[in-house]
This record gives sequence, structure tokens and C-alpha cells, in this order.
Amino acid sequence: MKPLRMRSLHRSALVVAALALAASPAFADKGKKGGGSKAPAPAPAPAPAPSGGGDAGGEIEMDSSAPADSKPAASGTAPAADGSEIDMGEPEPGPGDLNADIAKSDAANAAAIKAGPVTKTKLSWQDIVVVVRKPFLKAHRTELMPMFGTTMNDNMVRHYAVGGSISYFLTDVLAIGVEGFYYRPSFREPFDLVARQARRLPTVNTYNWSGALDFHYVPVYGKFAILDRKLVTWEVQFTAGIGAGQSEVEPRDKKYPGFTNLLIEPNLGASMRFFLAKWLTVNIGVRDYVFLDKFEPVNRAPGMNETAAEAKDNADTKLINNVMFQIGLSFWVPTGFEYTTFR
Amino acid sequence: MMKKFSIVAALTLGALTVSTAQEASADPTPVASTGRRLNGLPKDKAVRHRRLLVRGRFELAPLFESTINADFRHIIGGGAKLEYHIGDMLSIGVIGVGSTSVNTGVVKKIIPTLMTNDDKIKAEKGPDGIAGNSDDVYIREPSREEFEDHLNKMPFHGAAYVSLTPWYGKLAAFSQAYVAFDFYFQAGVAFAQVTSTCPSNICSDTHPGTSVMSGTDTIPPDNNPNNDPPLNSGTKIGLYLGGGIHVFLNDFIALDLTVRDYAFEDNPSGADYNANLAVTDSDNRFLHHLFFGAGVSIMFPTTVKRTP
Repeated sequence: MKPLRMRSLHRSALVVAALALAASPAFADKGKKGGGSKAPAPAPAPAPAPSGGGDAGGEIEMDSSAPADSKPAASGTAPAADGSEIDMGEPEPGPGDLNADIAKSDAANAAAIKAGPVTKTKLSWQDIVVVVRKPFLKAHRTELMPMFGTTMNDNMVRHYAVGGSISYFLTDVLAIGVEGFYYRPSFREPFDLVARQARRLPTVNTYNWSGALDFHYVPVYGKFAILDRKLVTWEVQFTAGIGAGQSEVEPRDKKYPGFTNLLIEPNLGASMRFFLAKWLTVNIGVRDYVFLDKFEPVNRAPGMNETAAEAKDNADTKLINNVMFQIGLSFWVPTGFEYTTFR
Repeated sequence: MMKKFSIVAALTLGALTVSTAQEASADPTPVASTGRRLNGLPKDKAVRHRRLLVRGRFELAPLFESTINADFRHIIGGGAKLEYHIGDMLSIGVIGVGSTSVNTGVVKKIIPTLMTNDDKIKAEKGPDGIAGNSDDVYIREPSREEFEDHLNKMPFHGAAYVSLTPWYGKLAAFSQAYVAFDFYFQAGVAFAQVTSTCPSNICSDTHPGTSVMSGTDTIPPDNNPNNDPPLNSGTKIGLYLGGGIHVFLNDFIALDLTVRDYAFEDNPSGADYNANLAVTDSDNRFLHHLFFGAGVSIMFPTTVKRTP
């Protein structure tokens, strides 16, 4: 009975020690630093020199046709180049032939070691890729974004736009989407000043709506700290698209009718996306909608460009860059994602 | 014997656990309001071993600046800003920009439609071509010279400000270029030197909007704002607001992009704004002058320190 009790005591002591080690990573660290009593892990044993009957770790093919009095590999014999196979049938130099041994050894060394200057290479470091998990993945997800926009480069009319976009991300950096906006104009101070001070009525068009098919590319990804506490990730997205819109002439003299124009609107833009949650982001960006617009002709009087059709036929055409500042809140579907390690 | 051993083992286990918890946190183990024991990570810095790209450094930035969406004249110029970063997030600085003025598209469209000054004078003399007769005509619209000479220029402007940099970070462009950046916001005092160059033969009214005595006669106001001096020259003091981004190309050179708002009382057209038929100080109003600036910031000293 006593030996049995001793055995159970040893077992409980081992369990307690294991628990202690599991509860204390610091203990293990100390052990590594040499403060502990644990012996370091044994280093791998060096491969034994090839010798007859020895196991070099690789496969040694013994020549079955070798004469019974053949000597095993001599200590000076060079091993096979790959170190895993030794041809025991190779003719051996005569015993004591040092010059032949040296010559053979030199030849083997020359083959194994490339001559030339030693260069440092970072290849090994380049192979090591440290990847911090992206907190937000977009691939195969859909972005629903209600947006608000305003004109940036028109000193006569400022347009306020409300709209939205739907984008599907084919990968984490490429997306395709559609957008649409409804515009409301607001005339700025110079619109009145020019009329009052210079006695000139400005020729302006307002915009009614626009829509576009867009392609998005996300080349820049980053993160920043707010007040050295909260980390926020963000990215920069470039957009190119093609769409259509409608502008409307504001008649200088209200007794003449205005007219509308259907516009072909390519667009280019850049935006920043800030990640707030797995399903929520904030987007801020600038977009340039480029189009040829038709303006009310300067000469409009009874009998001259009186109707909308006549005025439109004789309209002045001009290339317009409508630069809009846009801000939106994006909702992502599905609301979650499965993490995939990128390399 | 076994009981003693179990007690010793339990004490050892407890001691090790406490030791582990203490080593995981430099602070005494905090206890959350929920009663859970936490380590010090939630209170820790978000970023360690960070390069202090701005703290304790002077920033000198040659820069280019242009108005955004100006009404009558674009102000385009070059200058410099000098800033001292007291800490990671706080800095003080000054900026000064010398500029030239370029007419906007609105002005370029209006001017060709106006009469020249000579043509207007002739037209105002009436059919007989003699001034002071009953057939004289008052032409309300300005001549080209009257309109353009009233517009003001801004040959020099600047600001003294305090800057806050609450956001900093790094970004990867095309998975190749990894650069540090920060966002900053500025507020301070703006100043601007504005001028107009209306010659005395154009802006000839000596008493705009007021009556004067000439001997025993009272000369009433002419109710013509086109010949009034524009009254929009001088030094203006106002409010300065700005926001921008540094993109660090290396430890001491950064690309500096900023949107600045110099807000002060101004009358850019130099004309009658409040429709009282005279150009007076009351036509001034508090206006925002938005500029976009791009510069290259050079940090001194050029070497950089790191946080613990």
C-alpha cells in the first residue's frame, strides 16, 4: 500500500506543478532566462560521419556486389553531394594517397561553395510577412450609402444634393456601383451683386438630377490614433464613372421659357472611408462631374429665341466641371464578415 | 504529510497566479466597475515606440496658396509658415503669403459687356454732347474702368495661430509606400493687406452719400456709387481657421496640404452693397476668404526621437 500511496502523491504533485506552470507564463519566461531549474531543450544531435554500417540519418545503399573484403568508406572519403545517399561502389583511392584525397576534397569544396564576394541579402526578411489583421473586410459585401453633397466651384449657384449609392465589392479593393442624386439650387451673393452693381443678369443653369455607374479602387489603407488613445482605420478610394444628368436653364427674363438639357456626365473622384463598426463607415470625398452644358443664348427678344426650342437650338455650349463635396454614411450588407488572412 | 504538501502546493499556485497578474500589468490590478479584474491595457497608449515627428521641432514650410471659389478675384501667391511644436498635439505658428490677383470668370465675362469710361462720358452728355444740359443722361451701370478699378486686391495676408493635432497615423499606398501622416486644426488671428487702385479721375466723388456746403450752396449727394472711392483698402484683422494634413516623406520632410479660412470685414467688389447709392464703410461685411495651400514642411532638428 505504501508504494501505491507514494505513486499517487507524485501524481498529484505533477498535476499541481502543471497547473502552476499553466497559470504563470511569467514563470516559464523566467525559466527561459536561465533563472529556472529546467534544463534547456536539447540541441539536435549532429549527423554522424558516414561510416560503414552507420546510420547517417539518410539512406545508405550498400553495394551487394561488393567483394567481401571491400573496405568500408574511409574517413577521408567525401560524402555524396546531397548528403543523403552514398555510393559505396565508387572506386576508392589507395590508402595513404593524401594528394588524391586533397584534390578530391578541393574539387568537392569548389563545387559546394560558389566563388565570389559575400553579399548580404534581405531575402529572408522579405519572406517574413507580418500581417496585422484588417479590422474591416469588404470583399463580396454591398455598401449602401445615403449621401449629401454640395457644389464647390460655382460662385453663382450652390447646389445641395441628396442621394445615395449602392456598391458591390468584387474584392477588398475593387467595387462596382450605381449612384443617384437630386439637386436643389441656392443662389449665392454674387448672383445678386452682379445684377445690382454691374447691371448684368448672369446666365446660369441649375441641376435637377444625376445618376452614374461607378467603378471604385482602393489603393491607400491606413490607420490613425485620435488623441493617442483610439485607433481608427481608414482608406482612400478613387472613383471613375459614367452617367447622365439633367440641367435646367434659369431664364434671365422670366417671361421667356427655360429649357432642360440631358447631360452625359463622366466623373472622377477621390474619397476617404473611416471605419466605425463592422457594418458602418463614414465616407467623405470630392467628385468632379464633367459635361457639356447648354446655356441660354445672350440674344433673346421677341422674335428671337423666343420659344424654348429656338433657344435650345441656338444655345451656347460650354464644358463644365461640377466639383461636388460629398459626405455619406455607409451601411454594409452582410453586416459581418469572415476573416481571411491576406498576404 | 500529504495535507502539508497540498497546502504548500496551493500556496505556491496562489503566489504564482498573483505574481503573473502583477507582471502583466505595471499598474496595481485595476478593478472595473463590473467587478472584473482587468490589466492595464485599456489605459495604455495606443501606439508605442512612435516616432515623434513633430514634438519639440520647428517646422518651416514654403508654400503655395490660392483662393477657393473666389467671387471677383482669385488671390494666388507664395509664402511660408513657421511653426513650433510644443508637444505632440499642440503648436504655435505664423504664416505669411504674398499674392497677386487674377480676375475670375465672372469678371472676365462682365467687363467686355460694359462701356469704356470715355464712351460712358460721351453717352452721359446726351445728344448735344455737352455736359450740364437738360438732355444729360444718367447711366446707372458702371464703365469697365469703374467696375474693375473698384475690385480690391490682397497683396499680403497671413495669420498667427495655435494648432491642434489630434490625429496621427500611417498609411500604405498601393501596398508599397508606407508613410506617416497627421491631421491638424488651427485657429488664430488673421490679417490681410487689401488695396484698390481706383484713380482720382474715375473715383472722383469727394462726398459719397453726403451733402456738403459750397459757399452758401448745399451740394447734395450725387447718388452715383460708380464714382465713389471703393473704401476697401487697408489692413484687416479677423479670425483665422484652418485644417490640414502632413504626409511625411521621411523623418523631417512632409507634404503639407491645408484649407485655410481668413475671415474679416471686406467689400471685395468695392461697390455699393447695401443699395444706398453710395459706397461707404457700411458696405463692408464679415466675409470668409477660403484658400487652399500646398507646401513642403521641413522639420528642425532633422533627427527624430521615439516614444517609450
